[in-house]
Amino acid sequence: MPTVVLMDVSLSMTRPVQLDGTEEFQRKNLAVHGLTMLFEHMATNYRLEFTALVAFSSLWELMVPFTRDYNTLQEALNNLEDYDKTCLEPALQGVSNIVQQEWGSTCPCQVVLVTDGSLGIGRGSLRHSLSTIKHRSEDKKFPLPFPFPAKLYIMCIANAEELQNSDTLDNLEQLLSLNGGEGQIFTVEGPLCLKNVQSLFGKLIDQAYTPFHAVLRCGNLSSDVQVFPRPEPVIMDEEVDPAPRTILTDLEIVGFIEIGDISSPPVLSRHLVLPIAVNKDVDEMGTGTTDETEEENSANQMAGKSPNFCVLLHGSLKVEGMVALVQLGPEWYGMLYSQADSKKKSNLMMSLFEPGPEPLPWLGKVSQLGPTSDAKENPYGEDDSKSPFPLQPKSKRSYAQNVTVWIKPSGLQTDVQKILRNARKLPEKTQTFYKELNRLRKAALAFGFWDLLKGVADLLERECTLLPDTAHPDAAFQLSHAAQQLKLASTGDSQYAAFDHNITPMLTDFSGSGSSDRDRM
Amino acid sequence: MKMFSISHKTAFVVDHCPYMAESCRQQVEFDMLTKNRPQGVIPLAPVSKSLWTCAVECSMEYCRILYDIYPTRKLVNFIVSDSEFHILNSWNQADQSTQELMAALAAVGPPNPHEDPECCSILHGLMAAVESLCKITEYQHEARTTLMDKADRVSNRGRIICITNAKSDTHVRMLEDYVQETIQEQNKLAISSDRLMQIQQCELVLIHTYPFGEETLVSDRPKKEEEQHANTSANYDVELLHHRDAHMEFIKSGDLHPAGSTSRDSGLKETVTLKWCTPRTNSVELHFCTGAYRISPVDVNSRPSSCLTNFLLNGRSVLLEQPRKSGSKVISHMLSSHGGEIFLHVLNCTRSTLEDPPSISEGCGGRVTDYRITDFGEFMRENRLTPFPDVQGSEVAGKVPLERAKRQLERHTRYWPMIISQTTIFNMQAVVPLASLIVKESLTEEDVLTCQKTIYNLVDMERKNDPLPISTVGTRGKGPKRDEQYRIMWNELETLVRTHMGSSERHQRVLDCVLACRSKPPEEEDRKKRGRKREDREDKGEKNGKDSESERSWQESERLKAALERDREELAEAEVIKDSPDSPEPLNKKPRLEVEDVQPAEKAKGPVSLLTMWTNRINTANSRKHQEFAGRVNSVNNKAELYQHLKDENGMDPHENGKAMR
Repeated sequence: MPTVVLMDVSLSMTRPVQLDGTEEFQRKNLAVHGLTMLFEHMATNYRLEFTALVAFSSLWELMVPFTRDYNTLQEALNNLEDYDKTCLEPALQGVSNIVQQEWGSTCPCQVVLVTDGSLGIGRGSLRHSLSTIKHRSEDKKFPLPFPFPAKLYIMCIANAEELQNSDTLDNLEQLLSLNGGEGQIFTVEGPLCLKNVQSLFGKLIDQAYTPFHAVLRCGNLSSDVQVFPRPEPVIMDEEVDPAPRTILTDLEIVGFIEIGDISSPPVLSRHLVLPIAVNKDVDEMGTGTTDETEEENSANQMAGKSPNFCVLLHGSLKVEGMVALVQLGPEWYGMLYSQADSKKKSNLMMSLFEPGPEPLPWLGKVSQLGPTSDAKENPYGEDDSKSPFPLQPKSKRSYAQNVTVWIKPSGLQTDVQKILRNARKLPEKTQTFYKELNRLRKAALAFGFWDLLKGVADLLERECTLLPDTAHPDAAFQLSHAAQQLKLASTGDSQYAAFDHNITPMLTDFSGSGSSDRDRM
Repeated sequence: MKMFSISHKTAFVVDHCPYMAESCRQQVEFDMLTKNRPQGVIPLAPVSKSLWTCAVECSMEYCRILYDIYPTRKLVNFIVSDSEFHILNSWNQADQSTQELMAALAAVGPPNPHEDPECCSILHGLMAAVESLCKITEYQHEARTTLMDKADRVSNRGRIICITNAKSDTHVRMLEDYVQETIQEQNKLAISSDRLMQIQQCELVLIHTYPFGEETLVSDRPKKEEEQHANTSANYDVELLHHRDAHMEFIKSGDLHPAGSTSRDSGLKETVTLKWCTPRTNSVELHFCTGAYRISPVDVNSRPSSCLTNFLLNGRSVLLEQPRKSGSKVISHMLSSHGGEIFLHVLNCTRSTLEDPPSISEGCGGRVTDYRITDFGEFMRENRLTPFPDVQGSEVAGKVPLERAKRQLERHTRYWPMIISQTTIFNMQAVVPLASLIVKESLTEEDVLTCQKTIYNLVDMERKNDPLPISTVGTRGKGPKRDEQYRIMWNELETLVRTHMGSSERHQRVLDCVLACRSKPPEEEDRKKRGRKREDREDKGEKNGKDSESERSWQESERLKAALERDREELAEAEVIKDSPDSPEPLNKKPRLEVEDVQPAEKAKGPVSLLTMWTNRINTANSRKHQEFAGRVNSVNNKAELYQHLKDENGMDPHENGKAMR
């Protein structure tokens, strides 16, 4: 989930903060301090996150495009200049554009808005934007809700008491509800000082940037892993099942399936599964001196040399071209597989299926998947030449069966032509002739299209008169028999117009292929 | 997303009044001129469909598309109305098929033009439709049962599609009011019934039919849209219908203009043109796909459609590319069939947030080079999943297939060293028969024999002093001596078998066999004290040795039979040995146990070996699964005195007794 930091650099951010200490701070300094803490946290614990920095006042500017280089972000943060007034709407529009350009409109994002809560006055103020929201033309819509799934975190470098004097909080809350309630407003607790700003950003980190740690298990084999990006809770049906579902921290492999069998399934999200050192010391050594980094390095080296289940699993999945099915929660599954990037680096990846007992129709219910050893015969064949997948649905789709559709005249014409073509090749084509005839008969009866039955009967009778002298005598018999049967059906008489009834070839004394056709019918 | 939205239930009400027997006055030529046809034949007069035929064809086409795209959970109830109502099917999933409906429609037949129009009314059908919408579906019932006290979360919405001939606007309003009133009445009745639900929302679609124009159903396909798929190479288009979410990215990105949107239902333009893309994809490629939606061709029987669908049904896939605002193109979709159903897969075509991740070789365990990749591959093949039919009551019996799969994984991994240098036995072809059998949930008598044969084979290898594939990684010099190698091998084999001893009495017997046969620690290697039986076995061992050389040909039934014969004899002996107190063999157990018991105490000073960790872990895990043996419970320092009853009876130490017999 990429992050956009939207930093308020309006003049009001330069307001001084009275501190007990000697040094005088601006709100901007406090904001930079808080963001520095966030960037440091991300650089150590969340380093694969892409972050962009946007500064705004009456205008907005992309200071740092999406990057994982937190030094660059920090540098840009330290060099921010001060500008004029706060105009949030164009800045939010800017964020929307930047994100869509980079990640499209399906990738979930987090927007961290850092402001002092003075959201402007008059035109261009948030209050003004919100009051005109219902009277916008199509091309000047308010940027929220964002077209992509987004969490909006609003970091107020102000405490709740001072914000109460204005309608700031109301406006910000309205902003959140425009975003579908996704996100949160954070205010400083107590007086404005470094410590309280730290705890403010600490709350954000806890909320949005704690790494997701889990244990990946396969029977008795296991590995501690970090799942990145953090899997977010999913709501399946806000009505019947409104509780968001979160994935378990105990990820249990339930079995394996060939890549060809799982065949590019639809997924909710993809995540890297990174093995982590069991040694807790390594985790807790975050910021610090060079000594510690050296220790960390050696600890990493140690971890690199002790066998890890993830690496084994990854290697075998890659070599065998298989995926591991993994249980994420009650009736929720995903798959683990090896993913290679263009640089020939490869990684263990986990994709989450939609929660539910049957995420992929071609696998059937996941709970009904069992070990092959339970089957009477190996469903993969002794030489691995077969597969029990894909599962066949109970009924065929229209394009996989011979349905009759006459909405366009061409459909009807094609079907009549088929009968005629076979009629001219009687008795060789007796079987196909009657098959096509019966198909037409059934459809005509269902559609209540009795006139067609009469018409085709006439057509067959005419064909009979047009038979060349060389024709097989059986042809004439079959044609007039078929015509007669159609005519009877067109009366709607229940004896002849039953849907399940089939016209069968007339029994004649002529020997030849016609009779053998009959035998088969 | 809502599970029980309006489209969960659709009641079709088709007018079957005499008026519907009228011709739609559109003529269809069916006697087309063809080649090799004699000249001068006058074509037959064209036929004309009745209004009824048009209505039925359209509603069947609606159902065809619906069942193609949503084979479950979107249900149709078909009602025909004349002097009374005729309900042609139920909400049951089993009744949802065009064939069923066609058969029922054939039984109804076209309207009788001579029936008294005064007796006929569409109102009968509308009332039946409302009643029907109140009836609970299988899905609603299931959801209510699962939710128990929150059953009221399951809602009941539906749609009535009524095809009739409306005489005037007043008539239309009358029909609307009638439906409204009937809903209110039926809702009152529904309160007091378990099988009925109140209708919370109902959409009424009235389709007016009249001659000279066929009615269309375009506006009645919510959540569906047309997608045009252009095959540039052959220059023909195939129009497909599918769930509109398949183009979400496209719509949001503004590439699809929401121009001319007037109402919320027609807010999106229906057709997106995607082009057939030449690079083929193969089935073993795993695409990052964010959605898969069933499709249905608009013109199912047209040549272009059936060409495409047959191509897909034969197992091929087609990648589709989409033009962008900028003029560039991107591969955005893939058409592919699974089990006879064609899906439109939505491929991710934006930048990935996971690009350029650290390679797995840079992380934990990444520097280790001797993972048992091939063995684990074999393990994965053995643990592949397969579908089992859903049998009622299987949960009760604890036989849910997936739970069995998990249990199998647990058994197969009780002892599974991850790297080659950590194991000896898994590097030995000779151990394979036992290793693959011992993990089974239950063993047959034959399996036990095979295991025992494997063990005897190892005994024989040891006697012949065959080299073992012991890893010399990290050791100086030539590595451990031959007898030490065998000690390591036996230890490991014992660890493996011991993790399964609680599974069944037969597993225990395999362990017994290992314990009885494994080489003794050096101080016990007093060859002179070997009994006569041992020498006998050596003879047999030689025979077994030959077998091991031609291990692969064990499959041959003749040899197998012969081998089994011999083993059966041996087994008989082994059991004699076990049961007979005058045999010296069982005593081998005791000293070995002593050695093992001493080990942890020694190791406690230094780092614990992985093997010991494993053993301890497995032992703890297993000890929780069974009741502890009486002998171990009563043991002192893990030593239990055997044959205590003999002592009681004879006042003699059985241990002494054993020695005395030698």
